[in-house]
Amino acid sequence: MTSFVVKRLGSLVVVLFFLTAIVFILGKVGNADPVRTYTGVNASAEQVAAARVELGIDDPVSVQFANFATGLLQGDLGISLATKRNISDDLSSSLPATLELALAAIALAIVIGVVLSALYTRPGRVGQVLRLVFFSLASAPSFLVAMLSVLVFYKWLGGVLPAAGRSSFGPYDDGTGFYVLDGILHGSWTYTWDAIAHLLLPAFAASVTSGVALARVLADGITSSMASPWARTARSLGESESAVLRRHGLRNASSPALSLLAVHAGFMVSSLVVVEQVFSWNGLGSYLSTAIGVGDFPAIAAVCLILGAVYVLLNTAVDIVLAAVDPRVRLS
Amino acid sequence: MSEPTTVLSITDLSVTYRTRDRIVAAVSDATLSIDAGQCLGLVGESGSGKSTIGAAVQGIIANDGAATAAGEVVIAGRRLAPITDPDWPQVRGDIVTTVFQDPMRSLDPTMTIGNMLTRYTGSAQQSVAALDRVQIRDAAQVLKKYPHQLSGGMRQRVMIALALARGPKLLVADEPTTALDVSVQAEVLSVLREAAMDAGCAVLFVTHDLGVARHMCDHIAVMHEGRIVEQGATDQILSHPREAYTRRLMASRITLASDRTRPVGLPEEAVMASMTDALALRGEPSEGVADRWVAGTLRWDEFIGDTAAVGAATGATDITLVGQVTRPALAVNNVHKTFTSRAKGRKVANHVLKDVSFEIGYRESVALVGESGSGKSTLLKIAGGIESADEGTVNAQGVAGEGPQVIFQDAGASLTPWRTVEQLLCERIAHTHTGSGMDRDQMRALALRTLELVGLDASALTARPTQLSGGQQQRVAIARAVVVPPSVLLCDEPTSALDVSVACSVLNLINLLRHSLGIAVMFVTHDLAAARLIADRVLVMTKGEIVETVSAERLVDDITTPYGRRLVDAVLA
Repeated sequence: MTSFVVKRLGSLVVVLFFLTAIVFILGKVGNADPVRTYTGVNASAEQVAAARVELGIDDPVSVQFANFATGLLQGDLGISLATKRNISDDLSSSLPATLELALAAIALAIVIGVVLSALYTRPGRVGQVLRLVFFSLASAPSFLVAMLSVLVFYKWLGGVLPAAGRSSFGPYDDGTGFYVLDGILHGSWTYTWDAIAHLLLPAFAASVTSGVALARVLADGITSSMASPWARTARSLGESESAVLRRHGLRNASSPALSLLAVHAGFMVSSLVVVEQVFSWNGLGSYLSTAIGVGDFPAIAAVCLILGAVYVLLNTAVDIVLAAVDPRVRLS
Repeated sequence: MSEPTTVLSITDLSVTYRTRDRIVAAVSDATLSIDAGQCLGLVGESGSGKSTIGAAVQGIIANDGAATAAGEVVIAGRRLAPITDPDWPQVRGDIVTTVFQDPMRSLDPTMTIGNMLTRYTGSAQQSVAALDRVQIRDAAQVLKKYPHQLSGGMRQRVMIALALARGPKLLVADEPTTALDVSVQAEVLSVLREAAMDAGCAVLFVTHDLGVARHMCDHIAVMHEGRIVEQGATDQILSHPREAYTRRLMASRITLASDRTRPVGLPEEAVMASMTDALALRGEPSEGVADRWVAGTLRWDEFIGDTAAVGAATGATDITLVGQVTRPALAVNNVHKTFTSRAKGRKVANHVLKDVSFEIGYRESVALVGESGSGKSTLLKIAGGIESADEGTVNAQGVAGEGPQVIFQDAGASLTPWRTVEQLLCERIAHTHTGSGMDRDQMRALALRTLELVGLDASALTARPTQLSGGQQQRVAIARAVVVPPSVLLCDEPTSALDVSVACSVLNLINLLRHSLGIAVMFVTHDLAAARLIADRVLVMTKGEIVETVSAERLVDDITTPYGRRLVDAVLA
């Protein structure tokens, strides 16, 4: 198991290197003039020349890439052309915001998947209605789900759930940036619950499609695993249906569901770009749309790199869980 | 001596299934009983109802309204309603357990053997003892393993240990060795018998194979079309069968003593139709074939034909004449094949074929025998052009440019499910006769001729593969392979998934085609009895090499390699 994890982490480094190279190359072949964006259109020739030196534009490409890559290793993502600040500083509050939302969305997708799959495998009237509702939601784009949930839970139901921002109280000064965690660390249940309440609607909007997909795969997996020869063996040895499900069904059904979750984790993270806009969530998504608007390439590159890294890390995490669940993955 | 106790008694059991358009009587008025420490063999072919009885005594006939049952099942003194009894969940596991057919998939792949077994034995120590009883030596090691790390024979031993772990009164064994390599079959059977008898269990042994039943069982009940047609002590049934069906089953058993020069089994309509057809093609009288078959005077060499006549009749005008051919139908020279895989980060080379050379002569038939993993199937694929050799040459090109054709074990899976039989056959005719000016009607006529040759009729033309039985599917696969006579017919265990009587007729059919059409045959199998019937020569393969070549005629005496001897012993007399 240890060697499996080490191997997976090793390939993670390689993937991140290629991702860095791709982001860098895209920046170089793009048509936008970074100097103009940096200095503004009315800058004098001297200002432009100074900016070229400051941004390292005239260095050979290999040197620029080396600078870019070593900067990344030290946590330096470069300078934003629009805000003229270190991108790392810009992102110090928006990265935790997005990560917190992403984790919440993944957790919610798992909950939706498990609950719905139980409804799929055990048909009933309530189940049918719920399935239909979720299926319709899953077929709508996430911004539509986002606006709909704001309409229902905020407007019609009189604001039972907050529909904007991350907290009614603002951040703790010594906080980690993860509000739910901060609330727990400070022992304030009011603060924690308020942060969770703010997470619910955006997380739901980002996760419903993935949750429904997960439910289908999980339900299929459970059905076929309960009809499998080893389930028959367990029954012949006197196991009850629920024991067969607990001991054999869930475990065998979870491998394909986990693989799907790995893929969908990426979808959920990228759908946050849109969802954050709807809920005024100051995360990477909001930062990215601003950057795209003004052609702030280093900022765009930094966010892409981070989203890519998050995607790869999530996939690796799921692969490791998968290996723990299914011995054939690690022993084959 | 105490009176024997009856563990299982079934009285007048009937089970019917309602399908969409009809009601099927799966079992009618079955009565049988088994005493403690005894083994009863329930013998029959697919659809005979034997599996339904097996399911009824485990209480696993689906209670969804489609099945109804009458009669009585009493297990260890408990009276149980066959389908609806609320006590079944408690009886299963405590009193009745089962060993299933497929040891590859009957064990949960995500759990260690110890994890599974200890749940029923109570402690790791008891689990070791349970594995000892099924003669697994390094039991402590095996407990730590996952099912996919064990061989098929080992898994089936584990399955037996699981089934006996809680000391059941009745053990149902449902074709427990059918999916295993023949060379381990006998071992697993004796392990099963010893372990069950030591535990004082009664065993209901469900099988299609009379030879296996003879090996295992004290009593035999023969089933046919839902009824038990005959039952009694094993010796008595086998030496003095009263029923015609039992005799038929026995006649269908192929042994190392079967007569190679004549058709095996009892006359079967489809094969006789093909024979009549083959004789008629040459303008010879075809009356009395059935009588001569029964009398044992019908010989294969009568069918050896003049290929020109056959060619004219089948429309394939370019078949070479007999006697003009000196080159082999298949020549394999110094073939090597290596598969590489990765294990623990290192490349592992698996030399599947090491410098293999052999020839199959014009009209000759050669059987290739070897255990799983010996490389025989890879060799067949290379001969058929499905895989390529790393080194060496293969020439399977016929004189007129015709190529080899392959018949696979699972005919159902090798026929495209959405095409009709006519499309399947005409596709191949069109492919070979491109530019020969054959029109649709001529192709259709040739397809029909060939179907008749394999014992099917015009109604099969419009059928799709799923509408046909297993035996019929195998016939269609054969028809597709010979509709344009191939240079060599490559058969990959074509009978191992079939019932004995169907297997018999497929063997007869291949023999007939090879004699009447003069097609060379390569027959891959691990059943030496079948190999001996089909082939002129038998090649024995172990670990990627041909270690022995013997004439089929003198097979039993001449075979000397250890694996060859093991195969001889594996054919249960």
